[in-house]
Amino acid sequence: MASDTVFQSSIANHKSDISPARAFWALVLLSFERQWRVRQVGWAAAGLLALIVTAVAVETARPTRWGFADRPIRRGGMTYREYAAALRPAARYNALTDPIEEEKDFFTTRRPRAAEYPSPLDPTRDALKSLILSVPSVVLSTDRYGADWAFLNFTRLAVLGAYLSFVLPLFTLAYASGALGADREDRSMVWLLTRPVPRWAVYLAKFVGALPWCLLFSGGGFAAICLAGGAPGRTALGLYWPAALGGTVALAAVFHLFGALFRRPVVVGLVYVFFFEFLVAALPGSLKLLSLTFYARSLMYNEAAAAGYPVGMLAVNQPVSTATAWAVLAAAAAAVTGLGMWLFSRAEFRDDV
Amino acid sequence: MGPPIPTEALLRTDSGRGSDSSLVTDDCSLKPLLLFEHASKWYGPVLALNQVTLELTGGITGLVGANGAGKSTLLRLATGQIAPTLGRVTVRGTDARDWRARRLVGYCPDADAFYEDLSGRRFVRVMARLCGYARREADRRTDAALDLVGMTGRADRPLRGYSKGMRQRVKLAQALLHDPELLVLDEPLSGIDPVGRQDLLGLFRQLAATGKCLLVSSHELEALEKLTDHVVVMARGRVAAVGTLQQIRDRLDDYPLSVRVEVDRPREVARRLLALPEVVGVEVDAAGLVVRAHHPKRFFAAFGRLTVEDGWEVRRLEPLDESAHAVLGYLLGGSGRT
Repeated sequence: MASDTVFQSSIANHKSDISPARAFWALVLLSFERQWRVRQVGWAAAGLLALIVTAVAVETARPTRWGFADRPIRRGGMTYREYAAALRPAARYNALTDPIEEEKDFFTTRRPRAAEYPSPLDPTRDALKSLILSVPSVVLSTDRYGADWAFLNFTRLAVLGAYLSFVLPLFTLAYASGALGADREDRSMVWLLTRPVPRWAVYLAKFVGALPWCLLFSGGGFAAICLAGGAPGRTALGLYWPAALGGTVALAAVFHLFGALFRRPVVVGLVYVFFFEFLVAALPGSLKLLSLTFYARSLMYNEAAAAGYPVGMLAVNQPVSTATAWAVLAAAAAAVTGLGMWLFSRAEFRDDV
Repeated sequence: MGPPIPTEALLRTDSGRGSDSSLVTDDCSLKPLLLFEHASKWYGPVLALNQVTLELTGGITGLVGANGAGKSTLLRLATGQIAPTLGRVTVRGTDARDWRARRLVGYCPDADAFYEDLSGRRFVRVMARLCGYARREADRRTDAALDLVGMTGRADRPLRGYSKGMRQRVKLAQALLHDPELLVLDEPLSGIDPVGRQDLLGLFRQLAATGKCLLVSSHELEALEKLTDHVVVMARGRVAAVGTLQQIRDRLDDYPLSVRVEVDRPREVARRLLALPEVVGVEVDAAGLVVRAHHPKRFFAAFGRLTVEDGWEVRRLEPLDESAHAVLGYLLGGSGRT
């Protein structure tokens, strides 16, 4: 043990050296450092991301490449492009003279339907019929149409479906709920609560420290999915990244609050994700306004619309304007964080129960 | 539960050493270092602390009581981790929940939860940074605190490999970092070997000698007796007694203790007990008898002797006053049970 002299000279006094602001930033750094450990739900999210990225990469590698022109209408049958070609005048006239072949050729060598048969005895009717039936082939041969369809298909399935419904909530839940939840679980909260730092600052510093990880993993997951998606994915990455990050910040604020309030924040968070961000967000009517990912969806929808894509197929019910969506996401993040700071200042944590 | 032993005159706890004003504070106008004013704490329907009034101004005060007596609740209130449901807890006049009060308080918790992957030195340094010290000052204080608790040469290993004693020392080091006026130590001696215990007791005395106020909780009165003779005895959420051990013993002797005895021959037993000089009254009822006696230690010794000599079949022997029961338990060297 050291002598009195050591104690007096080394520890005593210097009260003025204490700075709450420095303590705040030290706690931010500590929170950031301790968040690197991927928690159980983080591994689950990483596994899910790997599956989704693989599925996206497989779809991208197929000849259809997110488009539908080269997709078979039925399994093993002709593609939409072949179908459109079969409706052109030359194909219809040729079909009249072709002999009916074996059953297996039914789909590949398609016989015209009654309405599609040429009408050589009525040239006007035949010309109009040829004109109308040539439209699909002309449209499918347009690059813009193919690209638009591929982009919207990618958006619908990979971005709105897989990313917003699963990857973003799970990664954010893993890191945001663990900021305080891990301290509660490890019973190490006492070290934070007995420091000379205001309670609200502890809550805020923990959030600020965990947020970069949420953004990194949620944003990284988004980038991985998009880059695996080829050309439509790259377009989606450029258009949607602000919405992805905005949604991540708002959800991180919610999950951080769960970490402070509940002993099992991951369970509560999963229930919340399933009911509010998955089911309620997809409901028509005003209930979906309670879901934060609805505003991220609205942002993405508006971005796609502003870029000139025919967004009808995105199936976003009554999206709000971009300004409203940003305002709600920002206000939700600020309000939930403020509420968390207030509640945390009054909360009592007992490590013996 | 009966009323606590009347010790109002002792509630101001200078703990013997506190009579030396230089150890308490240089400025007599300052408010009490730690003050509980009729503080009660409910956890849902459970009353954990009941109308506690206590004032600490300096020296070493031992806090003893059985498990569930309210010691940890009292310490959590003192360190601002929880707020009283009723009443008030202040540190130098500032509400204990206020973060500024925590500048004056160092807390060594009983809980053994660390950031296990960190080394002892890194953990203490992190705690110093969380106190708000600049990097260089935090390093300096970390080294000094580790030196003070005798961990300088052993602090660079991960905490997960530390013995119980080393962990206690690291906990103590982080409590000392910001030179607090009040040190709240929850079971600091539990799990420490005899040599380490002597070291820590020496350190506590050394800290008290530098003017610090120590509130040390333990369920081992024997260990605390080596450190201070000034204790607060808690029972069922109340302060059952405050003062030096001798004062409490004297008061206990003067305080008639009621004991229920269930025995096979109550009238004969009553007659024999009334012959004892410690017994001041006996009531016989259908269930047995209630004995009122002074000098409980001597009474229980005599009762045991008579039971053996006369072959009584004692089915129950229970003090009816819980406060006295708890105090007596500790003074007899038990754990709150007689």
